[in-house]
Amino acid sequence: MTLDAEVDALRRVPLFRGIDATKLRLLAFISDRTHFAPGEELCRQGEEGDSAFIILEGEADIRVSTPDGEKTVARLGQHSIVGEIAILCDVPRTATVVAATEMDVLTVSKDDFLRLLKEFPDMSLEVMRTLAQRLERTTQDLAAQKASGAAA
Amino acid sequence: MEKSLFRFIWQYSARQQMVILLITVLSYPVSYILLELPKLIVNDAIQGELFPREVLGFEFDQISYLVLLCFAFLGLVILSNGIKLVLNVYKGRLGERMLRRLRFELFQRVLRFRLPHFKKVSSGEIIPMITSEVEDVGGFIGEAVALPAYQGGMLAVQIGFIFMQDPLLGLAAISSYPMQAYIIPKLQKKVVLLSRQRVRNVRVIADKIGESITGVSEIHANDASAWHSADLSDRLYTNYKIRFKIFNWKYFIKFLNNFMNQLTPFLFYLIGGWLVIEGNLSIGALLAVIAAYKDLAGPWKELLAYYQMVADVDVKYQTVVENFDPPDIYPVARLVTDEPEPLSGALALKNVSVSGGAAGQEAFDVTVTVEPDQHLAVIGPDGSGRSEVLQLAAGLLGPTSGRVEIGGRNLETLSESVLGRQIAYVGPAVHVWTGTVRDNIFYGLRHRPLRPPERTGESKVDYARRLSEAQLTSNPQYDIEAEWEDLDALACADVDDLVEHALALIELTGLAADVFRMGLQATIDPESQPEFADAILAARRALADRVANDDRFSAMIELWQIDRFNNSASVAENLLFAAPADSSIGIDTLASDPDIEAALKESGLYARLLEIGQKIAETMVELFANISDDSGLLGDYSFITQDELPEFERILRAAKVGSGKGGLTPTDEQRLIGLAFKLIPARHRLGVLDDDMRGEIVAARATFHKRMDQAERRFVVFDRDRFVAPMTIEDNLLFGRPRVDRRDAREKIDKVIRALVEEMELRRPIIRAGLGFHVGVAGSRLSAGQRRRVALVRALMKNAPVTILDETATGNSDDDKALRKVIREQLDGRMLLFGASNLIVAEEFDHSIVMNQGRMTESASGDDNAE
Repeated sequence: MTLDAEVDALRRVPLFRGIDATKLRLLAFISDRTHFAPGEELCRQGEEGDSAFIILEGEADIRVSTPDGEKTVARLGQHSIVGEIAILCDVPRTATVVAATEMDVLTVSKDDFLRLLKEFPDMSLEVMRTLAQRLERTTQDLAAQKASGAAA
Repeated sequence: MEKSLFRFIWQYSARQQMVILLITVLSYPVSYILLELPKLIVNDAIQGELFPREVLGFEFDQISYLVLLCFAFLGLVILSNGIKLVLNVYKGRLGERMLRRLRFELFQRVLRFRLPHFKKVSSGEIIPMITSEVEDVGGFIGEAVALPAYQGGMLAVQIGFIFMQDPLLGLAAISSYPMQAYIIPKLQKKVVLLSRQRVRNVRVIADKIGESITGVSEIHANDASAWHSADLSDRLYTNYKIRFKIFNWKYFIKFLNNFMNQLTPFLFYLIGGWLVIEGNLSIGALLAVIAAYKDLAGPWKELLAYYQMVADVDVKYQTVVENFDPPDIYPVARLVTDEPEPLSGALALKNVSVSGGAAGQEAFDVTVTVEPDQHLAVIGPDGSGRSEVLQLAAGLLGPTSGRVEIGGRNLETLSESVLGRQIAYVGPAVHVWTGTVRDNIFYGLRHRPLRPPERTGESKVDYARRLSEAQLTSNPQYDIEAEWEDLDALACADVDDLVEHALALIELTGLAADVFRMGLQATIDPESQPEFADAILAARRALADRVANDDRFSAMIELWQIDRFNNSASVAENLLFAAPADSSIGIDTLASDPDIEAALKESGLYARLLEIGQKIAETMVELFANISDDSGLLGDYSFITQDELPEFERILRAAKVGSGKGGLTPTDEQRLIGLAFKLIPARHRLGVLDDDMRGEIVAARATFHKRMDQAERRFVVFDRDRFVAPMTIEDNLLFGRPRVDRRDAREKIDKVIRALVEEMELRRPIIRAGLGFHVGVAGSRLSAGQRRRVALVRALMKNAPVTILDETATGNSDDDKALRKVIREQLDGRMLLFGASNLIVAEEFDHSIVMNQGRMTESASGDDNAE
């Protein structure tokens, strides 16, 4: 898979949707592409996060540790992004991500992403827009939940 | 040292000066005849009559007489110029020899300075004194005696001639001399004073520049470059001012000289003319005197120029030499004596005081005795006198009062051949020499040349010449090419034995892990160490087995295989499947290598690679064109730097034009191919390299290898069954590349290599290879901790009866504690003085003294406590 395919994958990620193709190409070029074998961890819950992972191929399990031990809470497939919060702010990883199959992953490091944002303010605007939309949706969902809660 | 230049010259070159004078005098009749002969040829041979002539019993007619005279003229021309040549070479050689003698003497004096003296002088000042300031002295020495003697003689003859013609006119001719002799030295004195100032100022400038270089990080960290610039600029202005004044005086003196010289003819015409008119002097005599006076002007001018040169060079000599004559300089014998007597018995400081010139560098009335097998801790904070006491004990510092003795012998009177071999000292600031780890560790054993190399033929003759030159200039006759390591100090049979000993100490002092890492990155010559190379190959095979059997491990690595493309390596490496034997040939220069270019063309890949390079350039320009240069993105990720971007934009435009005028030049093509060479497919994922192309590259390896066979071993082919000399030991072990698309592949492989190396007993040989690691300028490639450990190993290698360590391994960390234990075990039964500011260290020692403000305040002994 080449840069173009990676750009394609990046474009499907909501966070990067509005960013134009050349900049996505640059982002893809400066990111690392890594292969993971089944069972290999991409990141571990509680660790400091410094990069986001975009799944180009394969699937990954999201596991969260609970009082009863580690539990798989979700499975992510192609074109999903994991750990994107980590490249915008400093928070520990909220879950462990384990490769479920053979995986090809594009690793976008926080430093590179922030450098790009600094370089292209337009890109920051797009990211802000996406985040705002997400916030808006969450607020609406919350409101809807409250409303339905009140109705019940 | 001789305070006056002339005494120095006379003492060391009187005979040679006489030879120069003799040749100069002998050359006079030759040049005189040479001037007379043309007149003879014109007047006598060409215009003369009365032929045939008889010369030396032979008869000559006019033509043959002319031929005779002309050949005589030719012979004299050759003779006279030959004499000049010989004389100049002789003078030049004498000057160089004297200069060598002077420079060496100065350097030896630096070595004879006592340590406290170095607080007053700086290397920035000493270096120009020994190198550039004395340079002029060498040029002058050849002229020093001959010129004044010869020109003075000429002058005297001419003056005598004029006096014989007429005493009055003689007086007139020299009438300006007393004035000149009186005024010019006075003026010259001003120039001399200014010259002194100038020399001092230049020294300060050199010192400031040196200091700026040493402290450059401080300058940047404190934004002090403006201050330093202003400071230096001011010094440069002072220099200009002084020089300008010197010019003024110098040219004024010249003006005065010329003026006075021409004043004399004025007197001639006036007085002489008056005498002629009065009838007291014949016109012929006046003309003869005027002609003689013209001849007088030459030597007189030369003498005045000489006088000025003497004044200049002498002041340079004195301003240098006065810095090398401190009153308390050590005698030469201390350096050159070679009597390695063993020191035994107790070390005793008896009422010793020393003052280093500043508070906190003193010790007062210290009395302590250390038995030959005793380990004594010397405790005290910096500035307590601890370091001074330890330096006194090492014989590095002389006491101002009291005595320091070992076995009853005063250290002050012992030579370095005793002190430097029987006492090992590691000070608070260690110095690591520029060179290899090995050089540094063996440094303490290199006292004298012990085993000279075998010399035959040319090199033997050259060495004999070197020796005789050294003798002529009082330089030492030590052979720098000999083996200097003192094997007897460690009772070793040969150098290999010594290396084994060093390796053991490296292991003990905890330096092994570091040297091992250096060894992995080292390259070796497989021909000189065939067994080691074979062992590495065995390890390589074991690693390959591991790759074949362990899937998880094999996923981390791409081995070099002659029939497979390595996606984690660059296109260049894949294509060559070889490494340049000369490590200075980088990937950038490969594309312009004629052999590579020819092989590319032969294999038909040239056009394809050019196309790939073009695509890469296009992508880079597209991706990075709008990136500002301060983002750092360009430098970290691109194939192209910011500065090169416009250049590649131009190349791309040219590529569109196609071949021919305005198209790509051969250099442009090389640059594009260079880009393609750098591509590492697994990392860069540009999609410019398809599977067909990979196949073609693999297929082209045969073409390249065939060509390399002819290319005089400039390249070493990767062969899994052979050691590849230009590769590091680590790369040779691995014979492949960690996969760039696997996380932490490098670290995981490192771990496996380490385990394997241990298993196959390669650790020792690799550490041994690490001894060849170059530590950089003054050990700059080592960490502070590594430097100290290297210095410690150096001291332990001396195997001396007395070891003195200051501020070495004095911390509370487990590492330091373990190191202290090792040191004490190594030195069990021998004397150890262990200086530390850390009081806790004292608890580990049976005996200790505590220093405070230069005084010994406490002395504790385990035995005393027990009683």
